[in-house]
Amino acid sequence: MPLEILLVLVVGGIAGITLLLHLTGKSRLHVLTPDTAPRQWMRHFPDDTVIDVTIAHDGHAALVRTQNGAGLIWSFGADTVARHLQDFDWFETANGIEVRFHDFSTPRATLHLDQTERQHWQHMMRPA
Amino acid sequence: MTDQVSFPDAVQWAVPFFIAAILAEFLWIAVKGKGGRYETRDAVTSLIMGAGNIASGFLLGFIAYAFFMWLWQITPLDLGTSIPVIILCFVLDDLRYYWVHRFGHRIRWVWASHVNHHSSQHYNLTTALRQTWTYTFTFMMVVRAPLILLGFHPAMVLFVGGLNLIYQFWIHTEAIGKMPRWFEAVMNTPSHHRAHHGRNARYLDCNYAGVFIIWDKMFGTFVPEQENDRVDYGLVHNIGTFNPLRVAFHEWVGIWHDATQPGLTLRQRLAYCFAPPGYSHDGSRDNSEQIKAKHLARHPEDRGTPGFEQVDKILPKGQAEQA
Repeated sequence: MPLEILLVLVVGGIAGITLLLHLTGKSRLHVLTPDTAPRQWMRHFPDDTVIDVTIAHDGHAALVRTQNGAGLIWSFGADTVARHLQDFDWFETANGIEVRFHDFSTPRATLHLDQTERQHWQHMMRPA
Repeated sequence: MTDQVSFPDAVQWAVPFFIAAILAEFLWIAVKGKGGRYETRDAVTSLIMGAGNIASGFLLGFIAYAFFMWLWQITPLDLGTSIPVIILCFVLDDLRYYWVHRFGHRIRWVWASHVNHHSSQHYNLTTALRQTWTYTFTFMMVVRAPLILLGFHPAMVLFVGGLNLIYQFWIHTEAIGKMPRWFEAVMNTPSHHRAHHGRNARYLDCNYAGVFIIWDKMFGTFVPEQENDRVDYGLVHNIGTFNPLRVAFHEWVGIWHDATQPGLTLRQRLAYCFAPPGYSHDGSRDNSEQIKAKHLARHPEDRGTPGFEQVDKILPKGQAEQA
């Protein structure tokens, strides 16, 4: 196949599918609830025992206390990603906190928190 | 030796079909309200990985091709390009695919290339295109050497390899449940390949087939999809990025960090490169056998069911229960 036609097909195909998915509402983020957050955590870490969860007001992140320490679970597109809170830094942002993991495959999680939540979450995220 | 043999690049010619099939699957899910999920950034990442795979073929494909042509020069055998020879080549290349794919899950160096294909938590036709950019660096092209030395022309070997990949495209879907029984018995199908993409303990390291599922049945790696254990797609430790560069290279970076940490023996450094994924020198990670054993400790009722038959042979019962 001529390279220019292949290029048009690939670029056009990616752009068209992206537009179609976005316009049909497929960019919505997963929403965590007090019921689903522990189940989602156990999906990622089946050996853990969840003690309690604190859900962010927007439902896109939750702090999870487990017998193996604290962890963070957050919306990742229509799904979730979770990490134990080890080997990370955090930075305050205008809308909350950005957690930077020292992990090339999971560089950061952006948390949208109001003022009250922000203080509570920072306290909870401090290493014991 | 016949040098002037040419076959079309089947994968490139299949690109319009890929796009049309993705649109058809999306519409099917939208109309039926079942049969899979699409998410914008996940799908875009998969499509960009597919485009990058074609680009890496343009940039690095000459390395494998030069190696194959060198083998072709030294072999005294030439089976020609008749239809029966092409069919035989297709079947033998599928056996080659089975082993390369199995190595891809059992040797971390090869897994570093293949992992990106499993990095989506979705399973739809775009997932099929989430392909590696770094296959050349695995040196798995050597597994094709016997085919060329047997007298199959390199262009034919690459052609049937392309057909193999095109076959595997359509099995990346939840829109198809089960195919007819005879087909499920012989061929790789959406059901068999869904199990392969599972991160559930049961489905780890199973169903490596490309086209013919018989290889898994022959070599003891077949696990049928279970109605009572819905497949959870993705990686044991799912990645948290849609950045294609991070998707493509994250396991290579992981190998580098692990193998270069201070205080390790040479054996430990090599194990971080070539042992099965999940190896750690201090026992801080689990490989697939240990994950299965821990699952059985939590769910003893699964002992002996598909996907767990081998655990008791690898880890004695008491050890599995303590895991």
